[in-house]
Amino acid sequence: MSITAETAKAHAHDPAVLCCRAEGGITIEPANLEDPAIFDDLVDSGLLNLDGCLTIEEVLGAKLKETCDSLCPLTADKVEGAKAPSAPEAEEAPAEEEAPAAAPVAAAPTAAGGVLKIHIGEGKDINLEIPVGALGNGGAAVAEVPAGAVAADAAAPAAEAGEEKVVGTLTRKHFKITEVKRGPETKIEGTTLYIREGIEQEVIDNQELVKDFHLEIITPDKYHTYSETIMDVQPIATKEGDADLGTGVTRVLDGVVMMLTGTDEGGVQIGEFGSSEGYLDENIMWGRPSCPDKGEIFIKGNIVIQEKTNMERRGPMAAHTAFDVITQEIREVMKELDDSLVAETQELKQVRRPGKKKVVIVKEIMGQGAMHDNFILPVEPVGILGARANVDLGNVPVCVSPLEVLDGCIHALTCIGPASKEMSRHYWREPLVLEALHDPEVDLCGVVFVGSPQINAEKFYVSKRVGHTVEMMDVDGAFVTTEGFGNNHIDFASHIEQIGMRGVPVVGMSYCAVQGALVVGNKYMTYMVDNNKSESGIENEVLGCNTLCEEDAIRALAMLKTAMAGEEVKAAEKKWNPNVKSTNVELIEAAYGKKVDLVENEQSLPMSQKRKEKYD
Amino acid sequence: MGNVQILLRQHVGAPCAAIVKAGDAVEKGTLIATPTGLGANIFSSVYGVVEEVTDDRIIIKPDEEQKEEFVPIKEGTKLEMVKEAGIVGMGGAGFPTGIKLNINLAETPMGEMDPEINPELPEGFKLEHSYILINAAECEPGLEHNIQQLEEQTDKVIRGVKYCMEITHADKAIFAIKKKHHKAIKILDAALKSEPDISMHMMADIYPMGEERAVVRECLGVNLTTTQLPSAARSVVVNLETVAKVAEAIDERKPCITKNVTVRGKLVGGNEAHVFMDVPVGVSVGELIEKAGGIDGEYGEIIMGGAFTGKSTELDAPITKTTGGILVTMEFPDLHGAKTGLLVCACGGSEERMREIASKMNANVISVCRCKQAIENKPGAPLKCLRPGNCPGQVKNNMQFKKDGCEYIIIGNCSDCSNTVMASGPKMGLKVFHQTDHVMRTIGHPLYRTLKISKEVSQDIDF
Repeated sequence: MSITAETAKAHAHDPAVLCCRAEGGITIEPANLEDPAIFDDLVDSGLLNLDGCLTIEEVLGAKLKETCDSLCPLTADKVEGAKAPSAPEAEEAPAEEEAPAAAPVAAAPTAAGGVLKIHIGEGKDINLEIPVGALGNGGAAVAEVPAGAVAADAAAPAAEAGEEKVVGTLTRKHFKITEVKRGPETKIEGTTLYIREGIEQEVIDNQELVKDFHLEIITPDKYHTYSETIMDVQPIATKEGDADLGTGVTRVLDGVVMMLTGTDEGGVQIGEFGSSEGYLDENIMWGRPSCPDKGEIFIKGNIVIQEKTNMERRGPMAAHTAFDVITQEIREVMKELDDSLVAETQELKQVRRPGKKKVVIVKEIMGQGAMHDNFILPVEPVGILGARANVDLGNVPVCVSPLEVLDGCIHALTCIGPASKEMSRHYWREPLVLEALHDPEVDLCGVVFVGSPQINAEKFYVSKRVGHTVEMMDVDGAFVTTEGFGNNHIDFASHIEQIGMRGVPVVGMSYCAVQGALVVGNKYMTYMVDNNKSESGIENEVLGCNTLCEEDAIRALAMLKTAMAGEEVKAAEKKWNPNVKSTNVELIEAAYGKKVDLVENEQSLPMSQKRKEKYD
Repeated sequence: MGNVQILLRQHVGAPCAAIVKAGDAVEKGTLIATPTGLGANIFSSVYGVVEEVTDDRIIIKPDEEQKEEFVPIKEGTKLEMVKEAGIVGMGGAGFPTGIKLNINLAETPMGEMDPEINPELPEGFKLEHSYILINAAECEPGLEHNIQQLEEQTDKVIRGVKYCMEITHADKAIFAIKKKHHKAIKILDAALKSEPDISMHMMADIYPMGEERAVVRECLGVNLTTTQLPSAARSVVVNLETVAKVAEAIDERKPCITKNVTVRGKLVGGNEAHVFMDVPVGVSVGELIEKAGGIDGEYGEIIMGGAFTGKSTELDAPITKTTGGILVTMEFPDLHGAKTGLLVCACGGSEERMREIASKMNANVISVCRCKQAIENKPGAPLKCLRPGNCPGQVKNNMQFKKDGCEYIIIGNCSDCSNTVMASGPKMGLKVFHQTDHVMRTIGHPLYRTLKISKEVSQDIDF
């Protein structure tokens, strides 16, 4: 399609190809030129050969010597009066970057037409370009992630660095648990946690929709146990005294997590986009922020809810509410523990850095009803009581402090694809919040949660609120993260657009890769980080595999700093190429002089029958 | 002569209200319906008796004998007479001419030109003169009644032009005509020797040169947006036949009761054009086809209007003040339910019309794209092209069709856009039909595919 003067400017260094037949003697203007966004596909399909093609800036205003047909690349012999090329992207950072980062994007079969461009950058940029309407074979997904490499710090303007200001603190007291047993009452003795026998019936009685419940203590030697799909992994934590979430003291048990699993009465897994049932050790990506760490004990409750309520909102809600009966009983016990049992005390500080680049994190969470909901701001960390359901709040943006996030202000009911779902535990140790909070070069002002409603009109309703919310924060940069893929990418793109159109650079973070290719895009989606870790770029149903990890947070921060400094983030290459990510990581390591540890993926796990059959 | 059916809505605007009832005797020129809002008077086109008045039409049984004379319209100012005569845009749009001409162009300032589509115009560009632009493009392929009228009634047409100039205070007039009409151009050129304020602009034989804004662009060099009227370029565009009707109303006090029509297609005796001048409004399509020789065997469809913008019609449908062509086509090809994409454009049929054609071709429509330049000014309003006749590129649409799994595509594009579709479609493996193919094959006109001629022609009479 012909381009506007604005597009021509943005693509000044891209090849100039006639969009339509043009007659000899005309002066070449943007309306004569095809949009470079689609060239990759045309080249791939053999419709276009760009050898010797001049750039758009060279041909604009030049005279076409002869009548040429549409899709004719403008080479030197076809035009008269071509301009000399300007210094190509001269302002680029000194470092030789240009490594493709891994940005995976796949053409989702459901994709609507259009071309998606996604950039994923790490200290550099990553561009994902996903031709949704790729020629022919609908499967070709493309992600490009180039890494522009610019040491981000090089660009950091020497702002009059004000003093760091601690605006809030949160103390975590850790209690070590090494054994979990059943007993006549719930109690903690030393490092042994006892859970009252018979508590199961209270869980069942708590909610009408809960039809059955079994509690299992999974110790590391029992990791090879079959389980229904994992609905949530939660820290066991409670507030001391009357402290609100994000303030005061939180007590937390180490070495043990709550794990909710379940089906409906018909045996249907409670999950969409796949489920993680199977042997635990084959289906959990250890150590992800969302997941158990290897060595931890799981207090695993398997719940059975009324038939067919697995896909309704009330089913998962009832399951989570009932399961919290046990957690709450443990919390009550924890409140009484003697301080002498504290194994470690940790102080989390919310630091503001006036004068540094001010950034905000916008986290999109599921809010489509059915199984897609989240409880926001319970009284207890990842509790139920006092929380408001995201759907009931209308999915509108809710601003929280970073410490509230890390204190468990989200109780995640979401049952979307296991590999990209952010479990409750994810927020407890949210890597992007932690990285941004600790980064001396940025001033994290807060976190905005926004729901992802079902209907497009509602999606745009909330994304416009996000735009205004961020606008009044006067930030220099923003992150937008999402979990899942597909439908939620519509709002994800819209959030980025609403923020981007206000002149704020935005780094988007999502699982995309092959299966999660974006279905929509806009011109503000130039800085993208793909959370994919899976070998094949897919939703592999391994719990937490493709969620946001520290390495992603580091890449995102580097990219945002690059963007805020006005450096260029290069477009990713067309096909999804995991090397883009690794190259970007190398560049970041070189620029910051520190090693970025990359997490393992599902290949480190024993191969499950399901994976063997369905995926790998 | 069969019954005459006079539709109450033959124009842009609201339907007229009938002022006669069953049993009333009417004469040629009897006022039978008047506007209820935007509209134009409707007169009986025959002598006869009203047989029935329905919601949408007045049915008149004509007398055996039909005299030439008619009931003259009331006298008044020239503009009043144009309004009184019920003249509407006879090129097909049907906008009431009395309203269109009710403008003082001498005092109409130049509108603001959008720089995006007028990159070559200097800022603040103004046209020194004001213009009546006579649309003699006769752009729909196969129609010939406009050019024939220009050749045969040159004086009447020029008189009409001068009346339009007088009414609107335009100081110039330009005939927009395709250069291929050598004879008409020579006749007109001779006639214009004594008319210093009237000139002609010759245009290439591509579609759509007759689009109102294309006429403005070709004659005056300015591109209007899809919502701007020609008045923004200090001009009014009037169809050639309409101009002649203006002269008839003023000189002869004749109401607008007849229409010139080209009947053509799969007819006994061949596919040449049959031009019928002054056909009474309300005569049936079937009657005209019979007059032209009758349909030759099996046929595909009958189109009222042109191949691009016309609609399918039936034998008993009446012609109106805006009917220009009646085209009988050959049978449609059978695509046997193949997956097909539609490329809808402002220049051709609406999506509904395209779907009708696809259905007649037994195609399974699985994808619909719209030309990037086809603008829907208001939801549901007919599409308008941003830059008529200048393609914005189509490869992206082709990619979409391919992705959606189309084997065939049916396009309704102009010459330039069709050419662009052809530059990538077939290479991608898309088989391309144009919505006018069945008409073009029937009348022996080249198919709309690749464009081999220049969009510019010299203004010299070099033939």
